[in-house]
Amino acid sequence: MDLKIDKHISGQFNKELEDMLSHVLDMGGIVEQQISQALDAISNFDSKLAQKIIAEDERINAYELLIDEECARVIAKRQPAAVDLRMILAIAKIIADLERIGDETCRMVKAAQEHFKKDERQFLVDLDHMGQQVLNMFKAVLDSLARMDSAAAYEVYKMDSKIDKSYEAITRQLMTYMMEDPRAIPRIMDVMWATRSLERIGDRCQNISEHVIYLIKGKDVRHTASDKIEAVLASRN
Amino acid sequence: MISLSPEVAKINNAISPLELTPEQTALEMKELNLYYGKKQALYNIDMKIPKGKVTAFIGPSGCGKSTLLRCINRMNDLVDICRVEGQILLEGKNIYDKDVDVASLRQNVGMVFQRPNPFPKSIYENVVYGLRIQGVNDKRRLDEIVETSLRKAALWEEVKDRLNDSAFGLSGGQQQRLVIARAIAIEPKVLLLDEPTSALDPISTLTIEELINDLKETYTVVIVTHNMQQAARVSNYAAFMFMGELIEYSDTNQLFTTPTKKKTEDYITGRYG
Repeated sequence: MDLKIDKHISGQFNKELEDMLSHVLDMGGIVEQQISQALDAISNFDSKLAQKIIAEDERINAYELLIDEECARVIAKRQPAAVDLRMILAIAKIIADLERIGDETCRMVKAAQEHFKKDERQFLVDLDHMGQQVLNMFKAVLDSLARMDSAAAYEVYKMDSKIDKSYEAITRQLMTYMMEDPRAIPRIMDVMWATRSLERIGDRCQNISEHVIYLIKGKDVRHTASDKIEAVLASRN
Repeated sequence: MISLSPEVAKINNAISPLELTPEQTALEMKELNLYYGKKQALYNIDMKIPKGKVTAFIGPSGCGKSTLLRCINRMNDLVDICRVEGQILLEGKNIYDKDVDVASLRQNVGMVFQRPNPFPKSIYENVVYGLRIQGVNDKRRLDEIVETSLRKAALWEEVKDRLNDSAFGLSGGQQQRLVIARAIAIEPKVLLLDEPTSALDPISTLTIEELINDLKETYTVVIVTHNMQQAARVSNYAAFMFMGELIEYSDTNQLFTTPTKKKTEDYITGRYG
């Protein structure tokens, strides 16, 4: 089904939905920048940048409040139905996920604020690779929302299993380091938490992809097997 | 998949109107075509209206929803140039058969209009009007029916002390409920409501909507409304009509969250096609 939000008879309603969607994309843009900078901060041990990222989280929170309010206002004033209703429901959930991704990013950069000795820096090597995977996943899910593309959203959905594999591999690696040198455990735990945050961001991206599919296809695909999701995507509606 | 308790699961799994069994069906339209002179107003309407539920017809002005509603108690017979083809089965019997007595059909299929139309009589006489025509004159029985009908129409408490006052002394909302009481006094099987609240204020509207919800326990209700939110609130099933055709007919929850036809989507979301 054609998903044009600008075809309402009420121009005001068009504008409200367009504004809301563009705020979500703005918010997503900030979160994307946060993730990207967090990865830089960690690989360069840049604690100043880490601080800036933590401060910037306020803006993400403010966007969440703003968009939530817009959702409530549109529901109260316009009694949206069908695709409009689904869009508002999906957006309300997407921004909650975006906000939590922001929180995870802040948690992650704490690793950059710790003082890693030179020989401890090897612990962080694989983190950047996984970070790039997550960043790509995030960009892709935001893109699928901007283009209202359910097939692209499903591609994002599938990316999560790769992230999970990277997470397992890094965990195993870090456990080996711990066994080799128990004194390094506190540093390794910092890396562990950062890895964990990245993995959680991947899960959140997957959630967002489910909301995008719901918004476009009208079927809730949470807790659904892949073959069933594929059937939903193949359906005309 | 998570399993829900049966009651919860039922909410999400209303029966599709296509799958209604004969016992669950109050009315069935079969290949119904209607013409005003040369102009065709309804095209091949095939639908089943479930028993003991509220079914709403929605659609833009001139789409044929009122025409379809008026077919159900043959109000269109009054229009000279109107011609109907096809069938409407009321509990299996075609109401357009030659041997059908229109007066008794209308006892089974009551109708309420957009503007309240009480007769210039007392409240009491308005309610018993249909019964008097049927020849019921037993005072005790009439008293009883007046009370139960007015109670069902949620008006009893407001008028019980002034049953002999003129019906014109009531407010618009009260008059509309009086008309509903008059319609249900003769115990119809089906109640047709043609935009019953479009002349009422929001509070009276909500009272009537609440009443519609109670009425479906006893009657099959079919409502035509311009107010989409009203259709969403009061109906169990909703039919979207456009230019004389039935475009989409499904359970109301589905129609208002995930319509399958683009025309329906455009209409209920207020888009131009």
